[in-house]
Formats: sequence, structure tokens, C-alpha cells
Amino acid sequence: MLDATVYERIGIAVGSTALALLISLVIVAAVGHDPLQFARDLIVGSFGSRRAFSRTLQFTTLFILAGVAVAVAFRAGVFNIGVQGQLIIGGISATLAIIWVAPFLPNGVGGGIALALLGLIAAMVTGGLYAAFPGVLKAYYGANEIITTIMLNFIAIGIVGWAVDGPLRPDDARSVRTDYLPDNVALPQLLFENPNFSIVGLAFALVVAIVISIVMTRTSLGYDMVTSGHQEPAATFSGVASKRMIVTTMTLSGMIAGLVGAIFAIMVQGYFIDPSGIGNYGFDAIAVSLLAANNPLGVVPAALLFGALDSSSSYVQINSGVPVQLIDGIVGLVVLFVAAPELFRMIAKRTGLGGDDR
Amino acid sequence: MSVADYTSSRRVRLGGLAVVTLGALAAVAVLVFDVPLERIFTVGFINRTLVGASPIALAAIGGLYAEKSGVFNIGLEGFMIFGAITAAAAMYGMGGTSPSQPHIWLAIAIAVAFTLALTILYAVLLIRYKADQIVAGLAIWFMGLGFAPFAASLLWDTVRSPGLASINNYSVPYLAEIPYLGSIVFNQSPLVVFTLVVVIVSWIFLYRTQYGYWIQAAGDNPKALDTAGVDVNRVRYATVIFSGAMAGLGGAVLLAHAGDFIGTGDTMVDGRGWIAIVAYLFGNYNPIGAALAALLFAGLDMLQIQFQTADITLFGRDISARLMGLAPYVGVIIVLTVWGKTRMPSSVGEPYEKEE
Repeated sequence: MLDATVYERIGIAVGSTALALLISLVIVAAVGHDPLQFARDLIVGSFGSRRAFSRTLQFTTLFILAGVAVAVAFRAGVFNIGVQGQLIIGGISATLAIIWVAPFLPNGVGGGIALALLGLIAAMVTGGLYAAFPGVLKAYYGANEIITTIMLNFIAIGIVGWAVDGPLRPDDARSVRTDYLPDNVALPQLLFENPNFSIVGLAFALVVAIVISIVMTRTSLGYDMVTSGHQEPAATFSGVASKRMIVTTMTLSGMIAGLVGAIFAIMVQGYFIDPSGIGNYGFDAIAVSLLAANNPLGVVPAALLFGALDSSSSYVQINSGVPVQLIDGIVGLVVLFVAAPELFRMIAKRTGLGGDDR
Repeated sequence: MSVADYTSSRRVRLGGLAVVTLGALAAVAVLVFDVPLERIFTVGFINRTLVGASPIALAAIGGLYAEKSGVFNIGLEGFMIFGAITAAAAMYGMGGTSPSQPHIWLAIAIAVAFTLALTILYAVLLIRYKADQIVAGLAIWFMGLGFAPFAASLLWDTVRSPGLASINNYSVPYLAEIPYLGSIVFNQSPLVVFTLVVVIVSWIFLYRTQYGYWIQAAGDNPKALDTAGVDVNRVRYATVIFSGAMAGLGGAVLLAHAGDFIGTGDTMVDGRGWIAIVAYLFGNYNPIGAALAALLFAGLDMLQIQFQTADITLFGRDISARLMGLAPYVGVIIVLTVWGKTRMPSSVGEPYEKEE
């Protein structure tokens, strides 16, 4: 997908989304619901009220970070499908680090900030390591990273799921969860009254996206990562150790994925749950990144779109009776169409729209 | 040393390694942890392993045909999910919550037909529109993860189906009573036997027929095949469509043994399509090898039941079933690491364009 102009990429993204939404409207109509009502519920459920909007931004925050994690890897030609597992490992590590260190720090705001930072660092370290492992297996043993990262997703869900239901579960917990994070570990409530969202979290995600964008386009590290992914012989010729670059890429991607888990634990949940029950942020992030043509800044609008879709799902189900799982299906359709840019080129040629972009 | 010698000696070496490792593990289990081996390798265990391996082997054979011809069908997992939900819906549509045995067979056929139709669209995207094979394959998985529970919710109001029906074992009178062999060979799921037949037929087809040679040439040397007057893309269409149908069959067989559809989390397919890909890599693109690898992974999966029923403890604590259930995934990573650099057909992943 490197041989497309910026306009073409935007066209493909808009076209894929529109086509996927159109098909979903047809499906809604086919199963006997009102597609217009469904379309209206999608918008009202995501932007219709201050509460809905803050929930949309809550999902957007997670999707920006997760999308950037995927984009870093895909940009460098490494298929990290393991963001879901890496964010689970990062999230549980952040939760445990905070809970274990909390008794040794003062209770006030200062202690809270220190603990939150500690959580973020713990998540980056463990998420990075959990991604570096398949990176090493790919670079030095030729193990296909798509499959190893998917297996590591299953393993992360299994082990963390076992732990929060066993050794980490407090005796008085009625549901499967860890202890609560201390009260002083929370992001400040500004502008929005939503215990699961803070504008500070969103700002943090945006800063990460900008920093990564700069790293990828303006530093030699980013340049080496991209060239070793797409032109290995050229990279090797210019002295880049492409095997080490694969490991570096995976580690960076996993560190950002770990941050998703930490923000999920600190901003959204306030504790950690059975990972089979948290959203598929790591998978949806693949769609987010592909829609953005793996550009860290392009991830932001794509994350807003997916944040809105996810945010509206419960409203849609209650109001129009369409099962929420349709949203996941739409995500799949978007990815399918993004995979086939030729399809849109052909449509564009047939209809005479933007045919001279190339 | 010729290529054939090289791969066969490598296979022997790795096969030997696998046997030695398994032997060592068994020895450690018996000596150190005092595990009663005879209570692990029971007839029930063997039967469960055969049943568990069938869907993986079927999907793996589909996947290896596609990859042999030069197309990486990474969507196996997704097609398995579509196969499972279609079979469940068809069974429910025909017989409600108490479908008969013929309903099950019909439901499997409907599931294959549906996934076949779906794969035709997929093949057009891949071959005609040169879609990115990895991204499109992932998309099929995501669509399965979304649309299958969606369909379940529409039908049953939850992502799980009610209990439907599972396939009955056939039983040969008298012979079924032979110890061990009788209950494995003469009292077995017909779908296991069916899978065995498919494995052998697909081996013969791939290595002993002209079309099988065309498939291999389409992946290894598409230009030569084109020069010989065979349409490369036509061969690839056939194998991709076959691979999707086989994965759908695998999903339907999985459902026919389980007897109900589960759509929570990663659905009841739960990574089997990915394991199928590793199975054919491990089996060196050979249908029989792929089926043996499927047996290995299914065996790892079924160990959890053995550990539960044999009441085995580790350091005085029960072994968590959830942790034991991770064994196949760990096995896959080990296999890929040791056996990672497989001899892929040289043109996998490249769209073929005829020169005018």
C-alpha cells in the first residue's frame, strides 16, 4: 500500500468505511430492523449528549494508543497482531505495581501522580517485553509473527484470567477482579463528568501519537525501522542490522500497547478484570491503523470513528434492538475493503471519479 | 544432496527430536511428579484426540492446497467460525433444539456450501483485485468474530446456541468389544473416519494427479505453468475456494461433535484455524504430515481433561484447567520456533500477472 498518494489513501479510507456502513444498513434491513433508526442511533449514541460524547472520547483515547501501537509495527513491515495480549499484560502489570507500591507512598495528590507514573512505566516495560519475545522468535528463528502473537494473545488471556480469578482475587470480591486501585490514583476530572474518562488521558494519547509520528518520520531510528521492513537488502547495505530492527520495532509497538492497558486500568476501570471480558481494543486497533494507512497521526480521526462506533453500541442495542456484535462485523468489513485498494481504483475509473489521482 | 533428500533428512531429524522430547517429558512426568501415565493415555484420551484433531486437519488441508498454489489463506480461522455458525443455524432451522442425525449431515453440507460461496467472493478480492492476502485474511477472522455472534444473538437472543445435537458414533457389533482397538476403530465418530479418508485422498490428489502437479507448479513456478498453457489464476481460484470450503467443513465438524455453538470471546473455534496453519507448516505442506501435526495439537488440548480426571496435582496443588488449556498455544510457538524456516512455495503471496 506504499504506492498510493495521500488523496488516494483518504479516498480508500472513506470509501471502505462508507461501503462497510452501507452493507451493515442492508444487513440491518434484511434481519427486519429499521436501517434509518439504526443509522440515527449510531449518531445519537455516540455524539447525541454530553455523556455519550465523553464515552466516545473514552474509547477514542484507547483506540489512538492501540492504533499507534499497531501502526508502528505495520509501518515497519512487522505484523504485530498481539497488541491485545500486550495491553493485557501491560494493564495487569500497571495494576499490580500500583497496588504493591501504594502502601509505601503518601496518600495525597503527589503520591497519586507518582503511582500513576509507576503504573505507566511498569506497563511499558512488560508490554514491551511481551512483544519483544515474538520479535526475537521472528528475527532469529523465522517464526511467523502473525501466528506467534495471536498465540501469545490466547496465552495472556489465559494466564491473567487465571490469576485474577485465583491468587489475585480478593476474598471479598463478588466478581472476578483484582483489588481496587487506591483513590488517589486517577486522572483529574476536567470538562467532562465521567468517572471513566479524563481529558488528560486523551491529551496523553495525542502526545504519544505526535511523538511517535516525529520518531517515525524525522529520526534515523524511524527511517531505519521503515526501510528494514520494506527494503531489507537496501537497509542491510546501508548498515542497518535488520534483525535487531525487527526486535526494536516489536518492543516499541508493545510498549505503546502496554500503555493502552495502563490507561484502561487507571482511567477507565480502576482495577483489572478477567481479560476475556475487556473489549477487543487490540483487534479493532488493526482496523484503526489500516484505515489510517499506518500513519500515527492519521490514527487520530480513525480512532474517533471507531470510538464512536463502540460508544454507540449499547445505545443501538437498547433502542433499535440490533445486536451489538454487528459493530464488530462492520470492523471486519472495513478491514476487508482496506485490503483491496484495487477495488476502489476500479470503481473510481468506472465512475470517472478521481481517476487521474495516480 | 537434492532438495528431496534435504527435506526428508530434516523431517526425520525433527521427527526424532519431537519423539525424544515427548519421551523425556513423559519420563519427567512419571519420575518427578509421580504422574500415572496409564491414566493419561487412555482409550478415551485417544478418541478425544482423534475427534479434536479432525477439524484442525480438515482446515489444514485446505490451507496447504491454497498455499501450495501460491496464495496464503490466512482467513482459515474466520471461515471455520462461519462454518460452525452456519451448521448450528441450519441444524436449528431444520430440527429446532432436537435435530435428527440426517439433519446434522445436511447442516454440515449447508455450512460447506455457504462458506464455499463466501470464499468465492474472497478469492475474487484476492486474485482479481489483488487484495493484501494478510490483511484480507485477518478481515475474514474479524468478520467471523462479529457476524457469528451477531447471527447467534438474532436466533437465540444470546451469543450461545441452546443444546442442539451431536453426531452419534457408529458401532460394529461384536468387533466394538475388542479391548482398546474395538472402541477406537469400531466404535468411532463417522466424521473421524471421513476426515481420515479426506486426508488420504487429498494426499493422492496432490502428489499423484496432473492437477496436483499444476497446483504445486502454480506456487513454485507460475511462469512455467503459464508457458505450458495452464491458467495460473484459474488453478489458484480453485485452491482458494477449496481452502475456504474445507475450513468451513472443519468448523461444521467441530460443531457436529460439540453439539452447540459458543460465540463468547474468540468463539468455539478458539484459535483452531491458526493452529491449522501451523499444522500444515509443521507437516511440511504434506496432507498426511499436517494431519499428524493436528493430532499432536489436539492431544495437547485434551491433556487438560486427562489431568482433571486422573486427579494429578503439582506441588500439592490442583493444576488449573484454564492453564492446562494453554498447552496447544505454547506447543504452536515451540513448533514455529524450532521449525520456523519452512520451505515455502517460492511464489506465495505474489499476485500472478500474465505478460501480454
